[in-house]
Amino acid sequence: MRTPVLSLRGVRKSFGDAEIIRGVDIDILPGERHALIGPNGAGKSTLFHLVSGNHRPTSGSIYLAGRRIDGQSPQAINRHGLARSFQITNVFPGLSVFENLRLAVMRPHRLQYSISRWIDGDRPVREETERLMDLVRLTARVHALAGELAYSEQRSLEIGMTLASNPQVILLDEPMAGMSREETAFTANLIREVTRGRALLIVEHDMDVVFSLAERVSVLVYGEVIATGTPDDIRADAAVREAYLGAEVPV
Amino acid sequence: MIRSTRHAGFAVAALVLLLVALPHLLSQGLLNAAIQMLIAALFACAYNLLCGQAGMLSFGHAAYFGVGAFATIHAMKALGGAGLVPTPFLPLAGAAAGLAVGAAAGWFATKRSGTYFAMITLAIAELLHSLAPHLKGWFGGESGVSAMRMPAFGISFGSTTHVYYLTMAWVLACLAALYLYTRTPLGRLTLGLRENSHRLAFLGYDVHRVSVLVFALSAMFSGIAGGLQVVNNEAANYVLFDMQLSAAPVLHAFIGGVKVFLGPAIGAALMTFFGYAVSDLTQSWLLYQGILFVLIMMFMPDGLAGLWFRCAAWRARVGTLRAMPGLLAAISAALLLAAGTVFTVELLQRLFAQDYRALARAAVTQPWPSVHLFGRDWLPGAVETWLVPLALLAAAGVLAVIAKRMVRTMSYATEPRGVTASTTPLAQAGSST
Amino acid sequence: MDTFVVSLLNGAVYGLLLFMVSAGLTLIFGMMGVLNFAHASFYMLGAYFAYALEGTLGFWGALVASPFLVMGFGVAVERYFLRRVHHHGHAHELLLTFGLAFICAELIKLFFGNYPVNYRIPQAIDFAAFTVGSVGYPAYRVFMGGVALAMFGLMYLLLARTRVGIVVRSAIYKPRMVEALGHNVPVVFMGVFGVGAGLAGLAGAVAGAFYTTNPNMALELGAMVFVVVVVGGLGSLEGAMLASLLIGVVTSLAVSIDLSLADLLAHVGARDWAEAVGGLFTLKVSSLAATLPFALMLLVLLVRPGGLLGEKP
Repeated sequence: MRTPVLSLRGVRKSFGDAEIIRGVDIDILPGERHALIGPNGAGKSTLFHLVSGNHRPTSGSIYLAGRRIDGQSPQAINRHGLARSFQITNVFPGLSVFENLRLAVMRPHRLQYSISRWIDGDRPVREETERLMDLVRLTARVHALAGELAYSEQRSLEIGMTLASNPQVILLDEPMAGMSREETAFTANLIREVTRGRALLIVEHDMDVVFSLAERVSVLVYGEVIATGTPDDIRADAAVREAYLGAEVPV
Repeated sequence: MIRSTRHAGFAVAALVLLLVALPHLLSQGLLNAAIQMLIAALFACAYNLLCGQAGMLSFGHAAYFGVGAFATIHAMKALGGAGLVPTPFLPLAGAAAGLAVGAAAGWFATKRSGTYFAMITLAIAELLHSLAPHLKGWFGGESGVSAMRMPAFGISFGSTTHVYYLTMAWVLACLAALYLYTRTPLGRLTLGLRENSHRLAFLGYDVHRVSVLVFALSAMFSGIAGGLQVVNNEAANYVLFDMQLSAAPVLHAFIGGVKVFLGPAIGAALMTFFGYAVSDLTQSWLLYQGILFVLIMMFMPDGLAGLWFRCAAWRARVGTLRAMPGLLAAISAALLLAAGTVFTVELLQRLFAQDYRALARAAVTQPWPSVHLFGRDWLPGAVETWLVPLALLAAAGVLAVIAKRMVRTMSYATEPRGVTASTTPLAQAGSST
Repeated sequence: MDTFVVSLLNGAVYGLLLFMVSAGLTLIFGMMGVLNFAHASFYMLGAYFAYALEGTLGFWGALVASPFLVMGFGVAVERYFLRRVHHHGHAHELLLTFGLAFICAELIKLFFGNYPVNYRIPQAIDFAAFTVGSVGYPAYRVFMGGVALAMFGLMYLLLARTRVGIVVRSAIYKPRMVEALGHNVPVVFMGVFGVGAGLAGLAGAVAGAFYTTNPNMALELGAMVFVVVVVGGLGSLEGAMLASLLIGVVTSLAVSIDLSLADLLAHVGARDWAEAVGGLFTLKVSSLAATLPFALMLLVLLVRPGGLLGEKP
């Protein structure tokens, strides 16, 4: 039994009187691709916010590679090896693709407070940035402003920026939202490639993508995980069917 | 920025040469104005580090200018008037004070963002403004603190020319440093603060710490500007913390253009020069500056520098000959608008002045005596008097409409975030610095 | 004891005046996200309009007419200036209002001169309403406080109990939804802006006669108003009331305290040393009275960044 790289234990979150997450237990194994699915409003994005440090859980604990991370700041969690992308594209719109990726690359190279060197001349940073750009197939758009990219290109940029810190765990929040068939297939392949060797937790609505990409799937309904298993297990699970399609009524 | 970096290089070199030659070309009075222009340019660029590059609107930058000024004047007075350091190094005191106070103030202020941040910076400046008169030891009360420049390294620093060269050297060095800063990792990170500080946290950056650093640097350069001011004036007074002084870099930076590196410097130099040139002729100079600022915020948000680049791009696109009519129309419209506004303001200024009102009350034969303006006498009661500004403004309006039609294609071709998503290199003008 | 009561009353009145100006500002911010730098200018305009109209309409007539003039001015600012730059974002609007405030101050200097004007309360009402100990308390101060309280009551009733109030409060939370329901949201914005301006103008017209009327009024009050909204919490009317009263009372009481840190240290026998050091140690609290609100603001920012009654940021 491999030790999980990301563990949630009894995580709960309330906003005022509304309890959004009602006790979630999940284990993500190292290197696995794990999808999180569920109806709208189930709390998937909220769960991401809790794991990545945007919000603090009301109770429960979250462990990253054995280290407790619930309640820590987003930057601390990122430095411990977890990176996330956003459902609504969250890049630097007025800067070029190259600059966007370079900003993400600078921090792992410990350059955040440096005023003593010429960033353009820094070979490791430049090469790393170019490598990332190549990985997400954006080299042709190197000087384009991020705010002017096509939607799917922006999503690719998001993924690229998420990879820059070489995280053990990647959280992708609906990376394929709003894409066409071809774009979805392309991005799914991209994700498969770039997350090799890392743990991936992905929220996605497109079932084809989920079943082709994920090794395990968890189903979140009303803030609780009602089932976890391989895609085939989930497909056959009665509770999941009920959640998505409604209860069967004997006629 | 500028498409051709060689162009930019030549322009900068020419400017530096001009600055070096200035004392031989100008009178003492104008040279003094040049010193003021340089100091204002540095202050505006220091301000823009925080505002245009990091996206944090500060309305209380006079605090760091003032703190730098007072630190420098005390350094000047230290050791019985001999000065803590030789005269050319005095602005270092301003830098140190600006850095320290900036770090402290920035720590508070950057805990919030946007509107809250702006209010906090304002309140910090007001705090100092209300506190200073009471701390007589440090700020000298009503009369302020004064000192004398001491000779150093064989130069007497007694003449304006000496002070000019000292100021010029410091300002050029600081501007160079500020430019080099934009090529460092922290400099690029500063732009990230403006574009999306939220995402930076998720990329592992301690956003608060970075913000404090940038704030402190901006305050440091403002402190140097304050120090230079004091080396020039040999005096510092608590009015340096006045709101007017905080307003100046804001107006200058936006009038010049915040997205271009030297934009604020250009805005500051222009405004300071005009202020100096017309201060004898009119009491309403600040009003004109305010009107210009509002007009720019409403119609030309990228400032004069941004406007220049857009015009240059348009001219390159359509050819000088075809561009001529549109440019002429636009320039004429601007001049007529200025003339009409100035006429109206100056007329009103004189009509509402105390001495005129006394005159009007005393006059028996004519209820409204004539006003002397631009070499002529105008009767407020006469229709012609008001027809002149009306005609000027109307002509300006007509020409503006004509010019707008002629240059309509200009906006579409060079708008960086246009619907047509132009990919020409011209579209990059005015975007990330 | 008498001085204490008088100081308390003065502080409360000043606080209520502050509230009249800050209420509009905090409402406008809560609704439109715009921090109106020129809000204190409305205050100044109220005083100057009242001064200008005093000759033709008499003191009371001018007092009533001036706020309406300022309201019209506010509506014009929203309609012709703010609305134009709305799509550029809040920072842009803030800068625009900053420029407008600047122009406003310069225009006042143009028309009325760069010195205080003689806007006074008429002799007829310059009497004492009641006595505190041996000192008479000016009726006009009571009047100022009364006007402010009446305004607060009226606004509260308007917002909480009338249809217009419900529309306004909904527009604060969900302007698009309100628009979809058929209400003319731009007009609502304009209205709120105008009413906010009018309130500030009323405060100016009333206060300008008692305190001084000069071109720096906007600046001096403006900073204080910002402190109030930060301390009270942006968008919270109750917070603005609490913060205004707090600042008014604290400032007023501080003015009468002639103690300094040196006096405090005298208790541990360190008075001579403190006086030798000078500077901050010999600074009397009364001199610091004007500085205290800013110190309070910084404290609130440390401890409770959302303001006393505001939302957690």
